[in-house]
Amino acid sequence: MQVRVLRPALAVYTGAFLLFLYGPFIVLAILSFQSKGGGPQFPIIDWSVYWYEHLLGLAETSRVSQLPVGDSLLRSLALAFMTTVVSTVLGTMSAEAFRTRFRGAGPVFYLIILGMMVPGVLVGLGMALLSNVVGIDRAWFTTAFVLHVVYTYPFAFLVMLAIFNRFDRSVEEASLSLGVSPSQTFRRVTFPIIFPGVLSAMLFSFTLSYDEFARTLFTAGRDLTLPLAIYGTFSVEIYPNIFAFGVLTTLFSFSLLVIYGLLMKRFTGKRGRFKGQEAET
Amino acid sequence: MTSQKAAPAPPDRHSPAKRRKAQDGRRALLLLSPGVLWMTLFMLLPLCMVVYVSFWTQTTFAVEPTLTTDSWRQFLGSPTYLTAIGTTLRIWAIVLIATLIIGYPVALFIGLFVRNQTVQTALLVACIIPFWTSFLIRVIAWRPMLGTEGAINLILQKLGLIDAPLTFLLFSEFSVLVGMTQIYCVFMVGPITFMIARIDGSIIEAAQDLGASFGTIFRRIVLPLSLPGVVVGSIFVSVMVLGEFATAASLSGRKVNLLGNIIVSQVGSLKWAFAAVAGVVLTIIIAAVITLALRVVNLRKEM
Repeated sequence: MQVRVLRPALAVYTGAFLLFLYGPFIVLAILSFQSKGGGPQFPIIDWSVYWYEHLLGLAETSRVSQLPVGDSLLRSLALAFMTTVVSTVLGTMSAEAFRTRFRGAGPVFYLIILGMMVPGVLVGLGMALLSNVVGIDRAWFTTAFVLHVVYTYPFAFLVMLAIFNRFDRSVEEASLSLGVSPSQTFRRVTFPIIFPGVLSAMLFSFTLSYDEFARTLFTAGRDLTLPLAIYGTFSVEIYPNIFAFGVLTTLFSFSLLVIYGLLMKRFTGKRGRFKGQEAET
Repeated sequence: MTSQKAAPAPPDRHSPAKRRKAQDGRRALLLLSPGVLWMTLFMLLPLCMVVYVSFWTQTTFAVEPTLTTDSWRQFLGSPTYLTAIGTTLRIWAIVLIATLIIGYPVALFIGLFVRNQTVQTALLVACIIPFWTSFLIRVIAWRPMLGTEGAINLILQKLGLIDAPLTFLLFSEFSVLVGMTQIYCVFMVGPITFMIARIDGSIIEAAQDLGASFGTIFRRIVLPLSLPGVVVGSIFVSVMVLGEFATAASLSGRKVNLLGNIIVSQVGSLKWAFAAVAGVVLTIIIAAVITLALRVVNLRKEM
């Protein structure tokens, strides 16, 4: 009988919690349609897409300077792509190693996990100091890139570890003992099983790197990435163009999520067909 | 993968099991060395660098590798920096408790009361989705909410609850706390929900059959079994809040100075040694927190 009261109460509470999570963003999205003369607050003077045009450089020049998104967006995408490739490969290799027992597994596990735990501002500072001492120029594709991998590689590793934990090694051994070469076995047996994990690892790495900011702050050097360009506008007064940017970048993240979902569905759908074939024979 | 094929057959005096073990060891070493090397060069070495440079001599615009404890003495003797340590610890404690108190009932609802698998997943995804959106945008989204002309003041005034807009909402410690709680709550809700959802339903049924009230079931079964989730969530939240600076920088109007903000401003004025000292202090605090939490739960077993 207590549960009968508790359940709806908690349901309402969870609804309020979701409002707390999404409320600010909903307000931000509404305000991004503010008219040209309007400020970054209510009331909406007139609905318009002016600030989107302003963001994309389509509006005539105004007293509000345009957000520096063009080049920094390309840099962020390139950086995220590089990070995704390297951290997924490293994560898969390390997780593969953890399928067997070996000495020093504990320390190595914690060493990798430390990458996602250690605050960005700390490694960023360390990397900046290191590059000063060694005499390397800081740039987004060198010093910032290696730090992005330090951050995303543990995520890729954990995702792959979870996949490998459920992956029976005897399937591979069966293939090997039937005379299939190791490279063929990897392509035909191992890879199809770990593919969902690889896809998740890539999604994690890309999103985290695209949005990464604390590690990049001290290590990007002269050319800014997208989050740095946005952060630069924080100190001055904000305008609704930053809200318009927020909506667009969120849509971009969601489209990545949708692509991921579609690929995942397609893949698992295929496996379902294989199961059906097995049942027939 | 190639090592399996390339390894020549060793002499027969080894048992196959031993041979395989040696082979596994070599294979693990080969697969792990790039990752371990990467982490050592680009994470451990920079962190050591922070410790090392904290003992360098700071001149006006540069640091010299002459070892001294001047920066440390100056740091620990300055009320500004000591206050920053206090502020960091205070904000950390409040946000940690707030995420736990706000997040736990949500995790309890999703993990225990929603028995439909699809609804459960959907709710969890709804909680996690904000994690995929830009961190800086989530921070900036609080400005139009909390400002004097912001949404909350507007609503409160329309409802007639207040006459004049509340000014403490934005550019104060309050806004930093609200922002951080909202941003990091996900990391508390996720692990706790995961642990609660794993509880075997028959245990709870058995307790019910034996006449236990919900309070007893919660205290004796659900709470202890959810504790690893609480610890993991606390580690996530702690590490992220302690290393924070962007939320404070953009929502506090420079009123809240965390250790992270000290580091950023010191680097901005090229005081590398001071920044390094603040970094070492931060590392010590975080290491203490993680060590404490790991004593309670073995993270590797929970994963």
